[in-house]
Amino acid sequence: MNAALSPAAAPAALALSGVTKSFPGMRALDDVTFSVTPGRFHSLVGGNGSGKSTLIKVLAGVYRADPGGTITVGPHARGADDITPAWSHQAGIRFVHQDLGLFRALSVTENLLGPELPRAYRSIDWRAAHEQAQDVLDRLGVPVAARRSVAGLRPAEATLVAIARGLRDADTTGVGLLVLDEPTARLPHTEVDELLERLGTLVAGGQTILYVSHRLDEVLDHSHSVTVLRDGVHRTTRPVEGLDRRELTRLIVGEERGILHKRGPAQADRSATPVLRVEGLTGGPLHGVDLDVHPGEIVAVAGLVGSGRTSLLETVFGVHGHVSGRVLLGGRPLRRGSIGAAIRGGAAYVPEDRALHSSFHGLGLEMNLSAAGLHRYMKKGFFRRRDELGDATADITRFSIRTVAPDTVMVNLSGGNQQKAVLARWLRRNPRLLLLDEPTQGVDVGSRAEIYEQITEVARGGAGVLLVSSDLDELLHLADRVHVFERGSPVACATGSAITREWVVNTLFHSTEDQ
Amino acid sequence: MSTPSVTQLPTDSPPTEPAATVAETRPARRLLHVVERFGLVFLLLAITAFFALWPGTSDTFATTANLRNILANESILVIAALAALIPLVAERFDLSVGAIVMVSSITTATVVTQLGLPLPLGVLAGMLTGLVIGLVNGVIIAYFNASSLVITLGMSTLLAGVGSYLAGDTTLLGIPDGLAAFGNQYWLGVARPVWLLVVVALAVAYLLGLTVFGRTLLSIGSNESAARLVGLPVARSVMLAFAVSGALAGLAGVLLLARTGSAAAGVGAGYTLPALAAIFLGSTTIKPGRFTVAGTLVGVFSVAISINGLTLAGADDWVEPFFNGAAVVIAVAVSALLAKRRLGGVR
Repeated sequence: MNAALSPAAAPAALALSGVTKSFPGMRALDDVTFSVTPGRFHSLVGGNGSGKSTLIKVLAGVYRADPGGTITVGPHARGADDITPAWSHQAGIRFVHQDLGLFRALSVTENLLGPELPRAYRSIDWRAAHEQAQDVLDRLGVPVAARRSVAGLRPAEATLVAIARGLRDADTTGVGLLVLDEPTARLPHTEVDELLERLGTLVAGGQTILYVSHRLDEVLDHSHSVTVLRDGVHRTTRPVEGLDRRELTRLIVGEERGILHKRGPAQADRSATPVLRVEGLTGGPLHGVDLDVHPGEIVAVAGLVGSGRTSLLETVFGVHGHVSGRVLLGGRPLRRGSIGAAIRGGAAYVPEDRALHSSFHGLGLEMNLSAAGLHRYMKKGFFRRRDELGDATADITRFSIRTVAPDTVMVNLSGGNQQKAVLARWLRRNPRLLLLDEPTQGVDVGSRAEIYEQITEVARGGAGVLLVSSDLDELLHLADRVHVFERGSPVACATGSAITREWVVNTLFHSTEDQ
Repeated sequence: MSTPSVTQLPTDSPPTEPAATVAETRPARRLLHVVERFGLVFLLLAITAFFALWPGTSDTFATTANLRNILANESILVIAALAALIPLVAERFDLSVGAIVMVSSITTATVVTQLGLPLPLGVLAGMLTGLVIGLVNGVIIAYFNASSLVITLGMSTLLAGVGSYLAGDTTLLGIPDGLAAFGNQYWLGVARPVWLLVVVALAVAYLLGLTVFGRTLLSIGSNESAARLVGLPVARSVMLAFAVSGALAGLAGVLLLARTGSAAAGVGAGYTLPALAAIFLGSTTIKPGRFTVAGTLVGVFSVAISINGLTLAGADDWVEPFFNGAAVVIAVAVSALLAKRRLGGVR
């Protein structure tokens, strides 16, 4: 509980000492000790299971750490097991979590001022409220009009509003530490730059920022210093200067693994009937889409938010009916708007949002695995649980799903393992067309590599893959062909060795600068 | 391996924290788990033991006559509860079970006494009435995507009107001996309604646990969107769930007629809340967080035995509704708490 008095003077903006957090059977944080100098843009990085999420939750008072550790924020110190959301707020920590926590149906003013909306007699003084809110926004350099509804904001604007909300009382009570948890995860590249520029200005003005991210480029290009956690243990806290990407990855991953090469020459059989043919598909955000996927081919679709990528997959799979055009699966026209028809035709779909659309959270892993093929277990009028568990065990081995038992409740598995299970569920059906929407979003490095292997194997077996991804590395590693979508139709296409990082970025942003 | 044309390291991901694992090793922890899982069962046994030993009730409670009576009396509620259980597995409420019980009993009584048709036809008419009502519920809820709470509540009110129309203010009497016999006599020492209870319980347990239909309902209840996206027939399954629910409620109505020998517009609606209370109470035990047949049975009898014991001890009339109401409130609160703990570990 002593201020770190060194020649660099001031007490640390954030100091952790011996912070440990245990769960039954595992330790998410193990005796973590490090400190952050005030006025720094400090990044916190680590892979799956590194403990970085847990650390943020401990700071926010959501998790209670084990007794024995101490957390200090400026002049405020507290036992790590004693942190509450109230203390955290009072100590000057403000959080912007990945989902922002804004009220989308309300205006920016209402989000910013919340319970402190100015009143005139008994009702709200809206004029004063909007003025006050605009004042906060202008002061922080956020180019958003206070009256606007949050629902209409671009993701970067919304993120800035969330940050403004956090820094609202910077002048009065003071914000010792602004914690941003993966703020750029869902932002397109141009908006990322906008955000980081704004953050840089804030830091220059003296604000300390703790930036949690998995985007190594951002970390290396914009932060002053970085803390790396791995397996709950603190690995290093050091200035970013002199640190390169390889070294940083080594610290995060532990050894030099995971270097992905280009997937090898395409196995596609372009002479055979396309597994998928889309002709003039129009409906929703799509406008006259023409596209082919041949057996053994992995076709990727890239594009910014709103380009219609997810709609494409959903329309092909029958989630939405289309207005005009047609979809042919294995050469045969597919009935529109019918998921059943798509599945019977051999299509499989792994949606982007697992929690909303693919995971049966409260059910066991074996039930999640069998979900797309229940009828095979009905024999002589009884559902054969033993066979179901047996098949689950086989899949657990085949897909390297890490779990305590074949019937562990799905929500107890890590994200990467859940995603492997969702993929396994479909691969049981030997689909001829695999539709993947951001298949490795939020998945750890190890599981990611395993999923890529599975996808590659599926293609090698003759299936076609239509992959939507905003992860450049993923596109480069897997795709035989990349279509870039803009406003609902494909605008450019590259094949084989023409697919380069530069080409993708330039086509997406019409820029001639290197990334 | 060809020379890498692109040497890129995959970017790392935001980690997802696993919720507390079930791999408990300490025996104390495991004991706690057992207690939590079977808490209600222990409570049921404790209450039974209490009333059997307490001087105030020991000579009236622990007699075979009394216990047989409890079992037979509760059989109607059990069947009604199992009816409501089926759609609830898919997260759909059926607040019209009680009303269906009432209308079915009136229908059967009418068919048999006023229309003079044979008994089997009367029983069939009762169950068919329930099936049709359930089907109407099901079609509206499943295909119009309407709130099950509101639709079945509306239906129950509507049915109250129908019941009044059919039976007026009168109580229908004069049911055939065969039916009354079923309702009140014994076979191999056990009341016949209890045999029916056992058959229905086994049938529903089979339907929910050992069929694709049951697993489909469970999946819908877990994540409806995911269920749709793996090709499960969501709308059809929900509709069928209500149809089966209606038919079973109809059966409960026939049983009510058999046991009481009469049917009236006011009798039956009162089964809805105790049925739901039993289901929710039951979801706290055996398979915490899930709606199950075994749990529902424990739920029904926990409340029934408590009320029976208290009544024998001389408690007033108000005890029954008080207990039933308290059971609903406590049951739903506890089951929500357990669900929260299971699905997201926070302090």
